[in-house]
Amino acid sequence: MKPFTVLDPQTYAQQRHLALNRRQFLRGLGACIALPVFESSLRPMVRAATASKVPLRTAFVYFPNGAHQANWWPTGQGGAFELGKTMQPLAGLKNSIQVLGGLDHKNATAGNDGGGDHARANATFLTGMRARKTDSTDIRVGVSIDQVAAQHVGHLTRFSSLELSCDAVRKSGSCDTGYSCAYQYNISWRSPTTPMTPESNPRLVFERLFGSGAPDERQRNFERRQATQKSLLDFVLEDTRSVARRLGARDRDKLDEYLTSVRAIEQRIERAGSFGVLPEPGMESPGGVPANFGEHMDLMYDLLAVAFQTDSTRIATLLLAGDGANRAFPEIGIPEGHHYCSHHRNQPELMGKVAQIDLYYMRHFAKFLEKLRVMKDVDGNSILHNSMIVYGCGNSDGNRHTHDNLPVILAGGGGGSFSSGRYTSFSGKPMSNLLLTMAERAGVTGLERFGDSTGRLAGL
Amino acid sequence: MPLASRKRLSMGRRLFVAAAAAMAVAGGLSAADGLPVLDYARDVQPLLDTYCYDCHGNGVNKGQVALDEFSSDQDLYDQHGLWLKVLKNVRAGLMPAEGEPKPTATELATLERWIKTQVFKSDPAQPDPGHVTVRRLNRVEYRETIRELMGVDYDSEAEFPADDTGHGFDNLGEVLSSSPLLFEKYLQAAATVVDKAVPRQPRVPRQMTTSPRDFTRSDGARNALVKGQAGGATTTVFTVKEAGEYRLEMEAGVARSFDFDPASSLATIRINGEEVMQQEVLWGSKSLRLDRTLDLPAGRLELTLALEPQTGGDGVDATFFDVRVSSARLTGPLAPDKWVPADNYQRFFPRSQPPTDAAGRDAYARTILRTFATRAYRRPVAEATIDRLVTLARSVYSQPDQRLEDGFARAAMAVLASPSFIFRLEEPLAADHAEPFPRIDEFALASRLSYLLWSSMPDRELLELAEKGVLRQHLPAQVDRMIASPKSKAFVRNFVGQWLQARDIETVSINTRVILGGQRLPFDELRKVFDGSVRRALRSETEAYFDHVLREDRSLLELIDSNYTFLNAKLAAYYGLPPVEGDELRKVELPPDSVRGGILTQGTVLAVTSNPTRTSLVKRGLFVLENIVGQPPPQPPVNIPPLDESARRDGKAVSLREVLAEHRASPQCSSCHTRMDPIGFALENFDAMGRWRATEDGLPIDASGQLATGETFSDIRDLKRLLVNERRFDTYQGITEKFLIYALGRGIDYRDVPTVDSIVDALESSGGKISTLVMGVVQSAPFQRMRRDSLPESETTVLPVGTAVTSSTPASSPSFP
Repeated sequence: MKPFTVLDPQTYAQQRHLALNRRQFLRGLGACIALPVFESSLRPMVRAATASKVPLRTAFVYFPNGAHQANWWPTGQGGAFELGKTMQPLAGLKNSIQVLGGLDHKNATAGNDGGGDHARANATFLTGMRARKTDSTDIRVGVSIDQVAAQHVGHLTRFSSLELSCDAVRKSGSCDTGYSCAYQYNISWRSPTTPMTPESNPRLVFERLFGSGAPDERQRNFERRQATQKSLLDFVLEDTRSVARRLGARDRDKLDEYLTSVRAIEQRIERAGSFGVLPEPGMESPGGVPANFGEHMDLMYDLLAVAFQTDSTRIATLLLAGDGANRAFPEIGIPEGHHYCSHHRNQPELMGKVAQIDLYYMRHFAKFLEKLRVMKDVDGNSILHNSMIVYGCGNSDGNRHTHDNLPVILAGGGGGSFSSGRYTSFSGKPMSNLLLTMAERAGVTGLERFGDSTGRLAGL
Repeated sequence: MPLASRKRLSMGRRLFVAAAAAMAVAGGLSAADGLPVLDYARDVQPLLDTYCYDCHGNGVNKGQVALDEFSSDQDLYDQHGLWLKVLKNVRAGLMPAEGEPKPTATELATLERWIKTQVFKSDPAQPDPGHVTVRRLNRVEYRETIRELMGVDYDSEAEFPADDTGHGFDNLGEVLSSSPLLFEKYLQAAATVVDKAVPRQPRVPRQMTTSPRDFTRSDGARNALVKGQAGGATTTVFTVKEAGEYRLEMEAGVARSFDFDPASSLATIRINGEEVMQQEVLWGSKSLRLDRTLDLPAGRLELTLALEPQTGGDGVDATFFDVRVSSARLTGPLAPDKWVPADNYQRFFPRSQPPTDAAGRDAYARTILRTFATRAYRRPVAEATIDRLVTLARSVYSQPDQRLEDGFARAAMAVLASPSFIFRLEEPLAADHAEPFPRIDEFALASRLSYLLWSSMPDRELLELAEKGVLRQHLPAQVDRMIASPKSKAFVRNFVGQWLQARDIETVSINTRVILGGQRLPFDELRKVFDGSVRRALRSETEAYFDHVLREDRSLLELIDSNYTFLNAKLAAYYGLPPVEGDELRKVELPPDSVRGGILTQGTVLAVTSNPTRTSLVKRGLFVLENIVGQPPPQPPVNIPPLDESARRDGKAVSLREVLAEHRASPQCSSCHTRMDPIGFALENFDAMGRWRATEDGLPIDASGQLATGETFSDIRDLKRLLVNERRFDTYQGITEKFLIYALGRGIDYRDVPTVDSIVDALESSGGKISTLVMGVVQSAPFQRMRRDSLPESETTVLPVGTAVTSSTPASSPSFP
């Protein structure tokens, strides 16, 4: 395994300066690929001599309701394995992925908490913690691994992390039995009590990353907006403090959340100056949320890809749909809801539909990986090579609500440190072990345990 | 029959009280109610032994409930949740289960009183108001507040991330969290809103703006998009009232061009037929922008964008992109003497021109910022805050080319991004400083009222009453005024939208092809059966129905059963009711014996509780238990799949009753499903879109059943009659609890039992009038008061309230329409 190091900020800043001087945007290259690579337009990226010096990107993609078991798992093991039916779209990418079996989330099981496996699957996935069963008061789970990583390496990029979701519309009424909806619509948690709200509108994601307005106005709009925002922060901070002083302890937590948010934006604005001009995304600003779910997923994946390519962030989460989602898939001839189908009780017709839905999700994920594979990073490798991307779910068998042997794919080369193209079964290790191991690769230091981890995962 | 049973039931209730009074025998008297203090071993345990322990004691714990397994005496009294369940189940007649011996009214009264006084320790003289976690505005409230405060509409539902919900509502303080993303949105929204709302000078040239809808294409369509492939033109017309110099701007963008497209087109802009601009449009082209100053005569001005496709010439397979006009604007006459007062100027700036000297400007800035911040924060603002705002404003307007209005605008942005605006901050009434549960001050009360009934900030009148300290005196009149105001439509939309999930009707996944089964209709016809206009009409029906009950102060029971509903032509046809003309919804009297009338048989409720292809009697039953009668069943056991409702076995249709019978054989399922399923059956006569059906899969539907409490019914009409007669206390209680959660912004628990009970009793006396519910909640301790422990530890006595509003006299304050 090659060692991976994160650049110290100083080296980083010097190299970014070099890269900046070379910045030039080549327009119109993209006749054959949707997201053309504009190497010379790359903002702040490091031109490192060795692959290990290029920033490593980390993403977690969540799909809902488990996977149809028979079609998910490969046959064979190690390097000699055959992809199952669901993973057929990844056939061309077989050497860029690892299928991981035998990873469990014990904290998503019922324990003494009764029903609510969907809420728990979602809440535990990146936290490794047991969500407190509550519909409104005392929401609590744990800091998620992406946020742990963001706290360590987030300062190196314009956005310390990016939270995306394809749940544009939420159902009103209650969520999974006795659990607040916060558990089901968030996988990223900044503190045990505060979720990182994801963005579901592709246009707004684009504008956050690359500015708003016509391409030639974005930089100016961005600078003006930053200057205005900066001038407001002192007042807002002072007001937050004085309000917090007037509140009791329970309410003060809410103001602390606000204060932390204001601080985060303040830091981002302060940092922004050191990142120079806005990156050129090489894609048009998308409209709002597309009516077609597949297109919505594609756009969010596209935005995630360019965010990585332009080094706008190195840490991201994408919730394709909250666990328990009952979305129908008329575009592939499935009028019933996903959740409904997932409780198939072994009826072949419904099982087939679940498998089709799994395949549908997988096709879009495969497209995303393809995109990352043709995107060149500054070291000449692909972005995919310099990424580690988890595609998984906190439920394994949706019919029975199990949380062991979770469906997990680890895609990407980890900056050359992964031995990809394998199927490994860990036979009953905590999923948290994988999260801990990934956090370390992403640059987190001094973390000995995470969630219910029992150690690191060897042999990735 | 219904009348008789109503009498029987209300007598039963009264018996509780009478019997309890008669029990004033040996033993101490309670200070609170003057009744004897009950002793658990002597008065309560024997009852539990007789009526409960067979299933919930002596080692048996049916449904994981045992009433004799406590680790200590204290533990018995600490199990508030358990005893609340006991209270609810026993009162509703759900326990002891059907067929088991029932306690007498006296015995019930004893148990109820013991739970309330000794377990819950309710003190009617000093009810615990509970703690409402400080609430941030949710995105609906943000939008309404901005509209009221700034006079502009900001689409926060599109721009902000969705709010989390708890207990089915999105206005609960505890779940409304903040994140860096959200704060970033607040900053952006503040700038966008202020730029749109605050004019930077008192007089401006008149502006005429056309929207894309004001364009007519050469093919006659009202559309601002010109297709690249076909070419063509789109035109808008301005009427120039007065000759003079004008500025004409138009912007158009290339649409639909994510992938590289070798096509090119020639775009031409014409004014009254005369070409003023021509430009080749290619993939990746910047937007087209016209910005001309013109001398115009009075009369018609025609602005046209024409697009002419250019062939690639080299055989490249071009797909062509479209060009869409996003806006066109005519400004003028530009001569300053022709300018008109700026829209909205008066809202923020009382003087027609700001003072010109430095001292005068600072004083003016202070006045208008104090007025604005007081309004925005919905309470008096501390002088230190005003100082900071003036400093911020001055940092802008003291610069050479900036006006006072620019400085005000910057400070207004800071106000809109600050927590005093985003959060609803509450303070206790100074006079109540010694009370454990002080009343909230009148500014807080004004906000609680306005966010409850308007989803918006208090208006000028409410704030003025609060400032004078007389809002409480005028409460009933103010509540009436607020309900009568059109702004209360926001309450209807948000409360009904969430309580009945009527919001979801517009997005709920419904597959008409499968539901209509055998009917072979063309795709377009299928789509129309349940398209956007039908969905919107269904939502409007539910809203109009509730709105009617609210505005006319009808009985809550009419929400469940009535002889009318609200229909337009489309809905009448949809339901198969006698025709109604037009698109406008109106109140329609239903034919005698109609199944409609009441929310349970409206398309909204029936569709949102269905699966995409079929009904779900479990979801429907659960919906009624949770949202109407307030008796949610216990949670399902772990890892038990939901009931198979497909009603097919080996491809063969079997009746749902058979499926259910199979299912009920399992004891762990039956205890809940005997509650849910019968209600679901009663609604089986409605398909997943809420349309009437007599059969399913060729089998006749049997909608009869028996409630877990023993009452039988033959169909939905019968069930509705039960809900508004024999079971009306359940209905009152269920609706009261939902409304209370929405009004308080917190979940409710055992401490709220006295509040709910007294409102239910008042509803029974008033015949269920909705005003009884609204006033009952508004006057209740949880709505009127706060807990001392909600205050900072350091402040044990009185809290200094911020500086009083000094600009309250009409003469010196700007008018906020």
